[in-house]
Amino acid sequence: MEKIYTPSQDDFEFIEGRNIEVDTNFASQGYWRGVFVHFTKNKFAMTGVILVTVIMLFAIFAPVFSSYTYQEIISANVDGKEIVAKSLSPQFAGSAENLFADKTFIFGTDDVGRDLWTRTWQGARVSLIIAFVAIFIDMLIGTSYGLISGYFGGRVDDILQRFIEIAGSIPTLVIISILAIFMDKGIGLVIASLLITEWIGMSKIARAECLKLKEREYVLASRTLGAGSFHIIFKQILPNTIGPIITQVMFSIPVAIFTEAFLSFVGVGIVLPQCSIGSLIEAGFGNITILPYQILPPISVLAILMLGFNLIGDGFREALAPKLEDM
Amino acid sequence: MKKILMLTLLILAAMVTGCGNDDSAADDTLKVMLGSNVVSLDASQATDSVSFELIADCIDGLTQLDSHGKAIPAVAESFEVSEDGKTYTFHLRDAKWANGDEVTAEDFVFAWRRHCLESTKYAYIMGSTVANIKNADAVTKKEAAPETLGVSAPDSKTLVVELDAPVSFFPALMTFPAFYPVNEKFYNSLAAGTYGTSPETFLSNGAFMLTEYLPGSANIQLKKNDSYWNASNVALKNLQYQVVSSSDNALTAFKNGTLNLATVNGNQVESVKNDADLSKNLEITPTGLLEYLSFNQDPKNHHAGALANVNLRLAISNAIDRESLVNNYVTNGSIATYTAIPVNFAANAETGKFFAEDQKQFSEYVSFDVEKAQRFLDAAKSELGKDTFDLDIIYANDGGDTVIKVVQAIKEQVEKNLPGVTLNLQPMPKAEYLDRVTTNSYDIAITNWAPDYDDPMTFLTLWTTEGCEICEHWSNADYDKIIADCTSGELATNYSERWSAMYDAEEILLRNAVIAPLYTGANANLVSEKAKGVEFHSVAIERVYKNVK
Amino acid sequence: MTKYITKRILMALLTLFIITFVLFVLIRIMPGNPFPVERMSAEMILQKRLELGLDKPILVQFKDYLSMLMSGSFGNGTSLYNGAPIKPILLKCLENSFRIGVLSIFFGTIVGLLIGIVAAINRGKFLDGLCTIVSILGVCIPSYVFMIFLQYFFSYKIPFFPYFFDSSRFLFSSIMPALSLSLLAISIIARFTRNEMIEVMNSDYVKLAEAKGVYGWELIRKHILRNALIPIVTVIAPLVVDLLTGAMVIEKIYGINGVGKLMVDAIAGQGVDYNYVLALGIVFSALYIGAMLVLDILYGIIDPRISLTAKDG
Repeated sequence: MEKIYTPSQDDFEFIEGRNIEVDTNFASQGYWRGVFVHFTKNKFAMTGVILVTVIMLFAIFAPVFSSYTYQEIISANVDGKEIVAKSLSPQFAGSAENLFADKTFIFGTDDVGRDLWTRTWQGARVSLIIAFVAIFIDMLIGTSYGLISGYFGGRVDDILQRFIEIAGSIPTLVIISILAIFMDKGIGLVIASLLITEWIGMSKIARAECLKLKEREYVLASRTLGAGSFHIIFKQILPNTIGPIITQVMFSIPVAIFTEAFLSFVGVGIVLPQCSIGSLIEAGFGNITILPYQILPPISVLAILMLGFNLIGDGFREALAPKLEDM
Repeated sequence: MKKILMLTLLILAAMVTGCGNDDSAADDTLKVMLGSNVVSLDASQATDSVSFELIADCIDGLTQLDSHGKAIPAVAESFEVSEDGKTYTFHLRDAKWANGDEVTAEDFVFAWRRHCLESTKYAYIMGSTVANIKNADAVTKKEAAPETLGVSAPDSKTLVVELDAPVSFFPALMTFPAFYPVNEKFYNSLAAGTYGTSPETFLSNGAFMLTEYLPGSANIQLKKNDSYWNASNVALKNLQYQVVSSSDNALTAFKNGTLNLATVNGNQVESVKNDADLSKNLEITPTGLLEYLSFNQDPKNHHAGALANVNLRLAISNAIDRESLVNNYVTNGSIATYTAIPVNFAANAETGKFFAEDQKQFSEYVSFDVEKAQRFLDAAKSELGKDTFDLDIIYANDGGDTVIKVVQAIKEQVEKNLPGVTLNLQPMPKAEYLDRVTTNSYDIAITNWAPDYDDPMTFLTLWTTEGCEICEHWSNADYDKIIADCTSGELATNYSERWSAMYDAEEILLRNAVIAPLYTGANANLVSEKAKGVEFHSVAIERVYKNVK
Repeated sequence: MTKYITKRILMALLTLFIITFVLFVLIRIMPGNPFPVERMSAEMILQKRLELGLDKPILVQFKDYLSMLMSGSFGNGTSLYNGAPIKPILLKCLENSFRIGVLSIFFGTIVGLLIGIVAAINRGKFLDGLCTIVSILGVCIPSYVFMIFLQYFFSYKIPFFPYFFDSSRFLFSSIMPALSLSLLAISIIARFTRNEMIEVMNSDYVKLAEAKGVYGWELIRKHILRNALIPIVTVIAPLVVDLLTGAMVIEKIYGINGVGKLMVDAIAGQGVDYNYVLALGIVFSALYIGAMLVLDILYGIIDPRISLTAKDG
């Protein structure tokens, strides 16, 4: 009844032309080189890199090659009356029938009569500079602070957390008003405000991660072997906290840009006719239902930047974390 | 996990049951937009037109404005003036407060004394520059007892006011909220500082009364006051105010029917004009608001060394294309202005002509003429021995989009027309702005002033040595003398001479370019069918709802 | 445990005291007048200062202020709303903000957790990508722009929700602002949940549990979520405070009397209102410290590995 199958020699055949003796063998490589290789293989991350790079290239070069400056009000003179090219929807030379038919405004003009194409990229430039500088310094301060606080625990943690509670509980607006007294308004003040308010979030993430990690076996082992605190914090714990921290950095960039917009709104941020992505959104917001094209370029640039940064962040995170299964 | 979820649901359920669901948006409600918060319902503390409008909705003074802006009787049934024009006797009608008390002359006496003692911004209105009430200045400075103020109540229905000098516009001045009555008994029954902070702590004798109000609240509701003396002629049942800060938002809310009366500006006005249906609802009403540049001449200031030079000030004033400002940026019907007194304001009682009818009168000093501006600039450069001028221009950034656009346009125009002059824009919160202008730490400020009463003097007193709302740190003995003569001196009795003396004062002001006038404001109102009959005024109280049908 | 909690509460009170002091000093040294300054002469300002006791040494002023706080009052305003008592106004504003804040945290947490869990389970698949896009959109669209769109479509195009906040229809008119506010919470929570869950799913103890035959919802709830929740709680706790205080623009657009709006009025109004700024600062700080306290205690409940009592160090 039951037929038991017995393998015979016919079931097998030799693979021709394949070198089965040599397995694929990776040369011994450093940690960061591995990260790099892994990162560049990640399609999403590379898309993010491309998006961010494109925006950065535009931000660097578009204002340079534009036929207008970002603060120039474009106007024509008709019978001694000045007519300003304000609130024009996007047009190319010859495509529109108005006084400015010979001019090209790829994104249209704002309600003061300036070219939005130039202003958008100028704004992207300003916002990127602010975000990078502020978040980078925040990351350095916040991470070290959080790790030290979380690792040492006890009294050190108490004192450091008390300080954070005090610093973090004072309303931002009050801090900024006081800061505005001592500093000139503008980019410097925005960066300073971001430094004062944003590092706290970063340090909390680092501390929470550290609390979780410091009880792990490998840290205990390291400590038993006589490793110093400095070594454990920065060599053992830090690399394992980079994932959440980079995620936090990616979240901090929009926060930085929005904070900047809010500061401009309250009157201590970007000083007109300078512009930033935030201040452009703020300006377009006032006409959002009747002139929606004014808010679209800055919002889109912001969205692309955020998407890009998020994808890069994810890519980094996966490339950095050696414990993920696909490594 | 489950417990947390249950807890959250419980909280939510509590929130739902915590609030009723009655439909308040009934058909007999007029819904009106306010551009900014009410500062205070206490007339002695209120400083803005929004507060004045609400106070006037609820409280009737001695007189009120009719639809043409003329003073007509309100709580005062009639009044007499003595021959020298220094004593007014008002006879009050039988009016009642909403709690049933009679409105008496003592209520006015109490309110006026209180105003002198407690008002900060508007204490001056009782004094020698405006109403000229006897002893008002001394009472305000606490040098005399409040009982010495020149207002008395021989009986409960007669109010006698004594003035130091005749004031030609006195009956019209009585429409200003500072002169409204306060029920003394009611006021004294309240805890200190709570008057006018809720419907319970505010008593009205006017056409409407509060039903819902909280200081700073975005939604304010009023209903008709049935004990108002003229209640039978008030048709409107409910009045609801909504604070809306964005013009774009106001436009959609109006289209939606959420607002029956809204004020829009800038791009929204143009979009309304291009819309066949909506443009029928557009009503442009002039206001008496003057937008102007104020030049700080204080030598202590770091840049004032330059602005103390009259030619530099004249150069800037003449380099600004005011027509372009109003046509391209303000676009709500505002009028370019070349005089220190706004257009369409203060009609002469004898000729009926507005004070600033002739806009070319001072064109020698205020105009748009690039060549002339550059001549002034060259003179300034050689006098000061400098080729470049780096000046800050400050403005309050909560004044809406319009001022932000205007100030950018001014920067562009001045820098283009006057090579060597740079303007740096400095936006700041209102509190800081006010502090800077009163302590003279600014170069140029973009500012405005709305009239408190229907006379050019409401503007001209701003620039005397003592008048210090916006301190230009300018002082001119001739100017001060003319103003003093016109307000309390010998010219106060002679209408036509006083009128021409005020032109002399204005000439001194503009010749020295103390200010650079920009434009006279206007409101672009969207008025729905329901809101027809709302009266618009350019002085003190901008909108009146009593006569809405 | 009780000892630890008592200690933490005492520390929190001490922190609040220090903050009150710091705020008090900072606000007193801020330039600008506490009064509306138009048309006020130097003598009038001096007189007002005397009335408010601003001429006394700062420590004496602080002592007076503390004894006032102890008596349950925040005093009167200095320039805002003609010096009305602060407490009733503050309470009303807090109530409004609080209700909307709670509603948006509710939306945010539920939707955020769901999106995060779905994304983590379907990691690398289409649903994951969709969830990622949703959470990214939440971060890069400012909540007030979202608010305007909601208002445009659901109050204007389809007039369903009220156009402005209406306190007589509280819950109904809170939905739009709460939704737009929760957008940020949704994306932050979703992202953290996803990342943390993936990390936990790859850990040895989850693999062990799987090997033991635990699977499905049981596995997610008992083994994954419990461990992934710690960092998520760190995100939610400060978000609560942010949402209570950070809705300024939305409060302005939708006409809500909330604490955010009150703060802007107090700082950017006619003059800086010392007492409102102080009162708001103290309340915000108290809320924040409270949230942190709860967070610390929650740590212990969620992750027993964190030692609460004796800390070595």
